Amino acid sequence: MIPRSPHLTLAEGLARRGNLQQAVEACYAALRINESEQLAHALLAELMLSGDFYDEAITSATRAIEIDPACSPAYLALGLAYDRQGGMWDQSILVWHELAEVEPDLVTAHVQLGEAFSAAAFDDQAIEAWRRALELDSSEARAMYNLAIAALKKEGMATALPGFRRAGELDPSQDDLFFALAGIHDDGNPAPDPSEVPADRQSRLGAAGALAFEEDLFAAAELIRLVLDEDPDDVEALGLAAYLYLKQEAVNEAMACALRALTVSARTPTAVYALGVAFAKRPSLNRNATRVFSALARAVPAHPMPHVLYGESLLGQQKYGLAAGSYRRAITLDPACVRARFGLAAVLLTEGRHAEAAWEMRRAAYHDTRRQGLFWTLYTAYAEGGS
Amino acid sequence: MPTRRGSGDRRRSRLERPSAEGGASAPVESGPSSATDAPEPTVARADALVEAPAGKVPRRNAMFPVGVNYYPLDTEAMGWEDWYQRDFDADFAAFSEARFALVRLFVSWKKLEPQVGQYDEDALEHFAEVLSAARENRLQAIVCFFADDRHAEMVDVPWGKRRDPLTDPYLISREVALVQRVVNRFRGEPVVFGWDLANEAFASGFQSAEAFSTWTRTLRESIREIDSERPIIVSVDPEAFYRHRSVDAIPAIDQCEFAVSHATASYRAYAAEGPITSGPGTYLDSFLVHSAARDLPVLMDDVGVFSLDNSPAEEAAYLRTVLYSGLMNGAAGVLLRRYRDLDIECREPYYRDPFEVLVGVADVAGRPKPACAEASAFVRVAARVDLRRYTLIHARTAILIPAERYEPLPNLAGLYDPRACLQAYISAKEAHIPVTIARENDDLGAYSVIVVPGAFRLGADTWARLAEFVQQGGSLVLSYGGGDPDPAMRGIFGVEFLGDGGNRSKLSCRIAQPDVLGSLRAFDAPIELPCYALLGHGGATVVATDHRGSPLLTLNQFGQGRAVCIAAPLERAIAQGDAWAAPEPVTELLREVYGAVARTAGCGTPVECGEPAVELALFNGVEDDILLLLNHGPTKRTAHLTFERFVASISDVRGGTPVEVGSTTFGVPLEPNGVATLRLAYK
Repeated sequence: MIPRSPHLTLAEGLARRGNLQQAVEACYAALRINESEQLAHALLAELMLSGDFYDEAITSATRAIEIDPACSPAYLALGLAYDRQGGMWDQSILVWHELAEVEPDLVTAHVQLGEAFSAAAFDDQAIEAWRRALELDSSEARAMYNLAIAALKKEGMATALPGFRRAGELDPSQDDLFFALAGIHDDGNPAPDPSEVPADRQSRLGAAGALAFEEDLFAAAELIRLVLDEDPDDVEALGLAAYLYLKQEAVNEAMACALRALTVSARTPTAVYALGVAFAKRPSLNRNATRVFSALARAVPAHPMPHVLYGESLLGQQKYGLAAGSYRRAITLDPACVRARFGLAAVLLTEGRHAEAAWEMRRAAYHDTRRQGLFWTLYTAYAEGGS
Repeated sequence: MPTRRGSGDRRRSRLERPSAEGGASAPVESGPSSATDAPEPTVARADALVEAPAGKVPRRNAMFPVGVNYYPLDTEAMGWEDWYQRDFDADFAAFSEARFALVRLFVSWKKLEPQVGQYDEDALEHFAEVLSAARENRLQAIVCFFADDRHAEMVDVPWGKRRDPLTDPYLISREVALVQRVVNRFRGEPVVFGWDLANEAFASGFQSAEAFSTWTRTLRESIREIDSERPIIVSVDPEAFYRHRSVDAIPAIDQCEFAVSHATASYRAYAAEGPITSGPGTYLDSFLVHSAARDLPVLMDDVGVFSLDNSPAEEAAYLRTVLYSGLMNGAAGVLLRRYRDLDIECREPYYRDPFEVLVGVADVAGRPKPACAEASAFVRVAARVDLRRYTLIHARTAILIPAERYEPLPNLAGLYDPRACLQAYISAKEAHIPVTIARENDDLGAYSVIVVPGAFRLGADTWARLAEFVQQGGSLVLSYGGGDPDPAMRGIFGVEFLGDGGNRSKLSCRIAQPDVLGSLRAFDAPIELPCYALLGHGGATVVATDHRGSPLLTLNQFGQGRAVCIAAPLERAIAQGDAWAAPEPVTELLREVYGAVARTAGCGTPVECGEPAVELALFNGVEDDILLLLNHGPTKRTAHLTFERFVASISDVRGGTPVEVGSTTFGVPLEPNGVATLRLAYK
């Protein structure tokens, strides 16, 4: 374990609470006592990165690496600073290579390496890096999006669309939309045991929702079946059933449930969502998906995901102008929406606006890496077992 | 713009159309004589009617020259000894054809003084030939003595023995000798416009403001002994240079006749990263012009893209935006980054020159890119804006850059403040207020409105000066920046500071006093606010509150002036967040507040415009005015303009038949990054 000075410990606490100014001051205090405390430099780099002060982040991270060439959190901060600043792709490639060697299982290092290669116009190496990332984590959406963008650049939209669909399917925030529409929220309590659920409609429906939230799809489906046995026209149960079928790739059944729910009540947002997603999974029904998602975007205008789904269906129909508008609405609602950023980048590429497309992808990486909060994972691991 | 829609041939045929066939006065399309009800076609017809103007057409605007840096080497395969060993006649002819007026030439110390005190007369003669070629092509030259382009090794004198050319007394004495020799040799050459002591790359070696200032004084005095007239400059942008080197270049620049603005790649990444043709980045160049100006004319230096990442169309659109924003913001001229792209060797994994000298307006073979045509087209338009007859409206609103900006780390104010100031500048521009930049120790009496965007701390004497400024009728807008504010705030703003409410992720606005500060509207918007001042009653009018009733916006009459307090650093919050996806209600709030304060102070927008992303500049003339419009966005827009006076007609500044308007309002359609340059005649 690497010893830490009291000032550094204070800085860590302040940094974790988001007190940037005080944390920076504490880091400087730590460095005044011991300039070669690599953790203080690494933490300072992260603090500067969190304020988007890239030059300062590069300086601090470089110093940390000079002190200890195995300081993985400093590599992460350095690579991200280079990438977010842009332009210094040669440096960026070297840093991600180093980090991939120091932390070979770190998926983000491979994704970022691929993006640096791509920015430097080394497309084959970029694809190789993203494939490596997907080998490590098959649900790495950004690697998949990048591969789709690479396919778009090389072979056009028709080849790229399946990649965008697969990347979209990896996005967990789409499920968040369904649960928001269904009024299912995480209250911190675990889902009930299905055998202990009271035999009334409300309890079963609530328990099914909670189980679906925890991805216990079979138990949730069983409870829904009991609800539908009693009332086959229960629209909420039908909507949830459609979702459960979707999650099990039973698209036809999902479509049937959603259509049945909408026949009973056209104002069932969960069914509208499930129907749209089911249509979108069948490329030949993409036109129908566009109509459904258009309605969903109108019904839930303040949520970014319907606009993303609408944009993706428009992208599939090569209606790029409308798709761009929809993606931009989603980004306005949630600037950190990686999926909308990549979708918009795809549209911009088709219009020949390469610099803007590159910017959107960089922004996607920016928000994605901020969301991941990888620094603290690496920092803690390094501090506990570093050289 | 006709220059972008039609080919040159079509333009020519239109210009050559004989008047007997309708030519000048014949309307291209029938339409209503008044444009009041159909604003867009008004300008479309004005465009279509552009014709050859009567009388002599100026080739260039003498008050706003456009030029280009002419680096001595264009390929990496060349060595330092190949200094200007190429067909510069052809290049200068191309400059002349593009109507460039300036060319910056670089002296190679290494070439001119190969041994101590031994000057290469052939090299000097060769430089004379270069200057002669420039003169023959009606160019004027800025001669730069000490420049580092990382390739031509211009300042790497082999006998220097690794001594620092910036501080070593012996090398400085050799520099003085070189400068005097060159100035003495060419002082009679009318082709020399001015002397440039150093470029930014060379000056980046200075470790202190004193060293930089002393070096500049020494070199300047050595020139003045021989040439007492020609302007002397150091090509350093004070703001970008301070960011890069933490050295204040202002004392050095203050000794010169021109200041320089330069949006470097690293400064752009720091202050306004993102696409170069839309968003905050498109305002950065003019922000730096105002920041550099103070009392000196400002030459926009090194204008151009940094890398080959952009398409030719994007390069051209970027250049158009910068050139027009320079003209619209009172710059004194423009120097493009370089003429030809540097022909670099294939190198892996990637090569990008940190001194930004890779990308030019012509490709490696000298074929002009669209950006070159764009610059040439700009020169033709700018030539019609006679800056001796038309005066740009003086900016009486200033964004105040706090002195804390110059404090070193760990104080983060130096990192936050320039971004917040840029955002405030953008908001003022979006409100179409003529705005400039001031520093804390500047004379505030020159302004009517001062905006202090989210400063952490101002000096005690600054508070006293601000109080005096407001007492005497000035208007002050301040957004709370965190910490304990100065006690003077209570008196000026009429509020009690009850503490910092901490960070928030949502801004709520509820209107308490409608129409007091513009047409504000209530909203709830997601935005990360680092702090929020809890304000108590102290006599000010609460104009808007948050959802809990805590004042968000207050207005206080103090003496003869007004003071507006915003309880949160909105400018900093927008700048630190995603400036391309800032919540519209928040940006609108800032626009409305700035606009309303400036309007009340009598220095609001000269022309009402419904499109925030369209920048406008009004040049007042005696009989007519010239209006320049610039679209900062990537989409088509129509700028709906409302004037105080009745506009009788409009015409393109390049000539053409005036189109009757007969109204105070009309609309001007603008392409993405498009511009319109209109001559307005009033009733």
